[in-house]
Amino acid sequence: MSRIYKFLDDRLNLSPLLKEIADHQVPDHANPLKTPTALIYCFGGICLFILLLQILTGVFLMLYYVPSPDNAYAGVNYIQNELAFGGLVRGIHRVGASAAVVMVFLHMMRVVLTGSYKNPRELNWIVGIVLLLTVMGFCFTGYLLPWDQKAYWATTVGVNMVESIPLVGNFLAAALRGGSEVGMLTLVRFYVVHVMFLPALLVIFLAAHFFMVRRQGISRPL
Amino acid sequence: MELPEANETLSRRRFFVNGIKVVAGLLGLGLGIPLVGFFIAPALKKEQHDWIAIADLNLMNAGEPAKVTYQYTRRDGWKTAETRKTAFVVKHADGKITALTNKCTHLGCGVEWNASSKQFTCPCHGGVFDIQGNVTAGPPPKPLTRLMVKVEVNKIFIKDAQQ
Ligand code: FES
Repeated sequence: MSRIYKFLDDRLNLSPLLKEIADHQVPDHANPLKTPTALIYCFGGICLFILLLQILTGVFLMLYYVPSPDNAYAGVNYIQNELAFGGLVRGIHRVGASAAVVMVFLHMMRVVLTGSYKNPRELNWIVGIVLLLTVMGFCFTGYLLPWDQKAYWATTVGVNMVESIPLVGNFLAAALRGGSEVGMLTLVRFYVVHVMFLPALLVIFLAAHFFMVRRQGISRPL
Repeated sequence: MELPEANETLSRRRFFVNGIKVVAGLLGLGLGIPLVGFFIAPALKKEQHDWIAIADLNLMNAGEPAKVTYQYTRRDGWKTAETRKTAFVVKHADGKITALTNKCTHLGCGVEWNASSKQFTCPCHGGVFDIQGNVTAGPPPKPLTRLMVKVEVNKIFIKDAQQ
């Protein structure tokens, strides 16, 4: 392992990069070994960990999921009840989704409590809000995919909420559904948004988020 | 990332690096095993095959393979799918019955019986098999696969499984 690393390092000079990514000083106020309450500074990292888990399990779930009204429920049922480790992989993805929302919220609370959103970090706060909305988008679109009663009605209700927006509501709801009723087109577009559009958004905004954290450093508490 | 000297004491830094490696390793295994298992699970499922009545013994001529197509339903994930396959049922001079798949053992093209030369020929790369299914020319590495056969009251049955 270390020989492979040395081979690559000799040729590509990776060490400075690695130092930049993972081998730099953590300020004392954010180091749980020095300040136990600094555990709240770990929430962002936990969010990342959960998101990575979600991506990993999500990619594997795609092996067996077919986004059509004929197949969606049967496929999820097959994953859950017939495949080896299916219940586990789907379980991680399902519980992970809830955990992601909880952790993102706690992370946001930490940022509020320590005043980290203030100048000069306003931009990173905004990026964070986009990430929060992205995670919510994942939850909303993912919820429809099992195509059971709960999924169907949750989406019906969710889209009807959009419909109540003045002026553009009807149009937005129809665009979300791909028509006037939740149906096949809704399922396919929610699926594609869930596995392509949102992940792209997530990766771009996470990169911006981390770049800014590294550039600006971890904020001091109030 | 440099290796510690032979008699260096375990530094705090080293201890944490090792700890991180152990945790990462455990996580990798804990996720890796289920995910790989999840991926390969369908490959490990055993398919069940039934006997299929395929030909009438009385209508068979010795030395003349009869081309038969048979059909069965198999599980395809959460659905069932019809599969159609072709085999050659052969009545040999000594009265023995064999059934050969038409699938060339080279790369899987469909072989045909050539009545004039009395052998199976493959259209793809010139593989040739005799009436027993043994390779007589071309690239195929092994004889045509023999299916399970049984005869009951003059009816020939095969099973889509290797003999
Ligand atoms: S597939 Fe039959 S000879 Fe190549």
